[in-house]
Amino acid sequence: MAEKQKRRPRSISYFDYNLLFILIFVIGFGLVMLYSSSSYTAANRFSDSAYYLKRQIRAILLGLIPMGLLAGIDYRVWKSFGLLAYVVAFGLCTAVLIPGVGNSSHGQSRWISLGPLSFQPSELAKIAVILFLAVVIEKVPKQMDSLNGIVKVLVMLLPIVGVIAYNNLSTAIIVMGIAVCMMFVASPQYKPFLLIGILGILFVVIFIFAAGYRGDRIEAWLHPETAGDKGYQTLMGLYAIGSGGLFGKGLGESLQKMGHVPEVQNDMIFTIICEELGLFGAVCVIMLYVLMIWRMMVIANNAKDLFGALLVVGVMAHISLQVILNIAVVTNTIPNTGVTLPFISYGGTSIVFLMSEIGLVLGVSRGIKLESMNT
Amino acid sequence: MGFFVERSRTFHRKKILVFASLVFLAALVLVGRLIYIMVFRGEYYIKMATDLEQRERDIKAARGEILDRNGVVLASNASVCTISVIHNQIEKPEEVIAMLVKELGLSEESVRKRVQKVSSIERIKSNVDKETGDRILAYGYAGVKVDEDYKRVYPYDSLASKVLGFTGGDNQGIVGLEVKYDEYLMGKNGKILTYTDARGVEVYNAPEARIEPENGNSLVTSLDYNIQSYCTQAAQKAYIKKEADGVEIIVMNPQNGEIMAMVDYPEYDLNQPFVLTEQYEEYAGTGEENEYLNKMWRNWCISDTYEPGSIFKIVTTSIALEEDLVSVDDRFYCPGYIYVEDRKIRCHKTTGHGSESFKEGIQNSCNPVFIDVGLRIGASTYFDYMGKFGLLKRTGIDLPGEAATIMHSKDAIGPVELATMSFGQSFQVTPVQIAATTASLINGGVRVTPHVGCKIIDAAGNTVEEFAYDSSNIICSEETSETLRMLLESVVSEGGGKNAYIEGYEIGGKTATSQTLPRSANKYISSFLGFYPADEPKVLVLVIIRNPTGIYYGGTIAAPVAKEIFENIIPYLDK
Repeated sequence: MAEKQKRRPRSISYFDYNLLFILIFVIGFGLVMLYSSSSYTAANRFSDSAYYLKRQIRAILLGLIPMGLLAGIDYRVWKSFGLLAYVVAFGLCTAVLIPGVGNSSHGQSRWISLGPLSFQPSELAKIAVILFLAVVIEKVPKQMDSLNGIVKVLVMLLPIVGVIAYNNLSTAIIVMGIAVCMMFVASPQYKPFLLIGILGILFVVIFIFAAGYRGDRIEAWLHPETAGDKGYQTLMGLYAIGSGGLFGKGLGESLQKMGHVPEVQNDMIFTIICEELGLFGAVCVIMLYVLMIWRMMVIANNAKDLFGALLVVGVMAHISLQVILNIAVVTNTIPNTGVTLPFISYGGTSIVFLMSEIGLVLGVSRGIKLESMNT
Repeated sequence: MGFFVERSRTFHRKKILVFASLVFLAALVLVGRLIYIMVFRGEYYIKMATDLEQRERDIKAARGEILDRNGVVLASNASVCTISVIHNQIEKPEEVIAMLVKELGLSEESVRKRVQKVSSIERIKSNVDKETGDRILAYGYAGVKVDEDYKRVYPYDSLASKVLGFTGGDNQGIVGLEVKYDEYLMGKNGKILTYTDARGVEVYNAPEARIEPENGNSLVTSLDYNIQSYCTQAAQKAYIKKEADGVEIIVMNPQNGEIMAMVDYPEYDLNQPFVLTEQYEEYAGTGEENEYLNKMWRNWCISDTYEPGSIFKIVTTSIALEEDLVSVDDRFYCPGYIYVEDRKIRCHKTTGHGSESFKEGIQNSCNPVFIDVGLRIGASTYFDYMGKFGLLKRTGIDLPGEAATIMHSKDAIGPVELATMSFGQSFQVTPVQIAATTASLINGGVRVTPHVGCKIIDAAGNTVEEFAYDSSNIICSEETSETLRMLLESVVSEGGGKNAYIEGYEIGGKTATSQTLPRSANKYISSFLGFYPADEPKVLVLVIIRNPTGIYYGGTIAAPVAKEIFENIIPYLDK
């Protein structure tokens, strides 16, 4: 935070190019790694080594539209859409559970088709909750001063979180996490969040042990070597990470991507980054995310109003939670749960909404008046 | 102006900072975790990943052959197959398991375990004959690999089985020469290292390393296929005729200790070493099967000891001659027994040999004469000579499992023990020890090391290594040796060994009949040791018949066997 106050003769509109360029770099790097990690399996499965790459590029091009719009339009416009976003997201997340509407993948229905496009409503839910919460807190900021108010807001979120958790626990955790982070920033209190944190962890633990198939994940987490097929993905990921060494095998030289690591272009892409670029490359990637978070922190600190600041904090929470959870999972620091690495993992819905969120943040950044810029 | 100023709720900024700090802290923890995995655990994961990604295919090295002295191949190799599975290529695991169980006769459980194991390649069974391998290949199941391999074959089945030994599933020697010379015979398997993807498909243009196999070198032995075959037949004949427990024949060159034949009948089929022979077949499938397999493989000539009996009079004679305690013409009197302290020890001729010279004494194999001579020598000197002659150590033959001599301690040898030792009782040695010691005494006094391995040759026939055996130890004088040869020649031409006499040939020898322990069982070991030509021996033959039925005198039943062998091998050796 060494950036000095900038003084300009005239009051001009600010735009955070830092964040934009970090984003462009991360997306570009992500495409390179996506091609590297997926080309072998893509060539085998679809006879087209660029299969995943092309689809990802298409999604990114599509994502440019909402991102541009959100960055260009005054973010305060969205204040009126908070409730609508919540209701639509809730509706779609519920619809996906209805047989015939949702498409199954990996045994869980998470997709919904809209004409030629299919997307995961749970991704929409994240941005919807960010918007909804920002609106709610903005309206009654004093609510956040008491535990009672915090709980009230959490209760409002329960329906959508419950629906998401029904078939995608990790997304539900992230949505919940985003909400808690936003309220944490909005509230002067510390203790209630400590309590929520403890309760949250307790809840997750109970949930894991209650649902049988998730109990296997614990076994796979503690003993990936002996857990058989359950620990396979984790173990293959560890082999890939461990094979990287300090500087990796070199771009494109991964051997674990040859079908050994399941979902290699997806949740496990970080393992291939480690294998090919080594500890050095992995730390660079983490640094990129840290840089991104830092830029968002600067924007949030200087946002024109609490609404803007909360929107940015929500996006910040979303991206940082996914990065932390993804890397924690692939390094077997926590039990396996399907969380993608933002901007790098393959996934059209995810990248479109993530880009939209960045667009939102950029929109907030435009509202900052330069002379008051405080980093 | 930011909203903080407007609303003066500055805690937001602090909270954002706290939140971001927590995120950075988490990132730091994850970096730490990455350092742990990639730096400190890196080696382990690299190894595990390499095991998984790299398929190691052995290129089998052919094991060296075992040849007789004339180049006859006694142990060779045949092409067989090794069956393996590649987990990720298997499409129909249940069918593959069922097929492998059926074709290979393995238990379903063991096959299932291997088929289901996640590895780049898993071996199911080796040494599968080529026909079965071809059949398995014909099923055409994905993920089942049939690799060519070598299997040890013994062209003459049971010939010299106890000497040659056999190899196990990994072409590694288990018993006999196969294990003794394993390092020379084994060779070094080559390797092809390829990288594979998860389906087990080799990765195109990934680096492939190839290590060429080095075939094993061949062992040239001193065995002679013809002599070995002939001795085996002779042993078999005696075994059947005398319904014996076993018949051992050792044919040795007494000048250098080279073993030309070593038979321990009944032999076993080297191509089926785990099938119990007729002798033990009743134990097949029982809990004792392993014990009897070991018995079947055991080479009695080197791994068991027995009381040598009268053949040992050769040793007593040698000591007495060396010490100048007796001369050939010294007179003795045998009344049919002799008292040693208060013990009456009988001669085998209970009526007595009467008055006789020492030469006649050895011809008659007269116990009282040798007891007398033995007592003249004295326990201490006798024991020292046994040490000097090499009887108290193992011979050092190049075969595994040689037994040691079972002997009294020096202090425990009283007159009675000494008396019985003089005619080869109350202690035990191995047959090969008797052969080697006698060979050394009659060859002019050079202690020989009995051996089978002569040299190692490569595939082109060039000598890689020639084995040298110590011959620097002189154990008796040339004079003693000469007298001994003369005396033993007379045993065959005039005395108890006349059943081995062949007209026109000077053969030396000595018979023995020893009762095994416990004496009450009335079991005997009949033996004969002969050599030819008597003045400069080229060949020594030891025949042992264990527990013959009917007549059990060595001179009556073992000597004729030796005679037959001499009749056949003398013309062959003189050629």
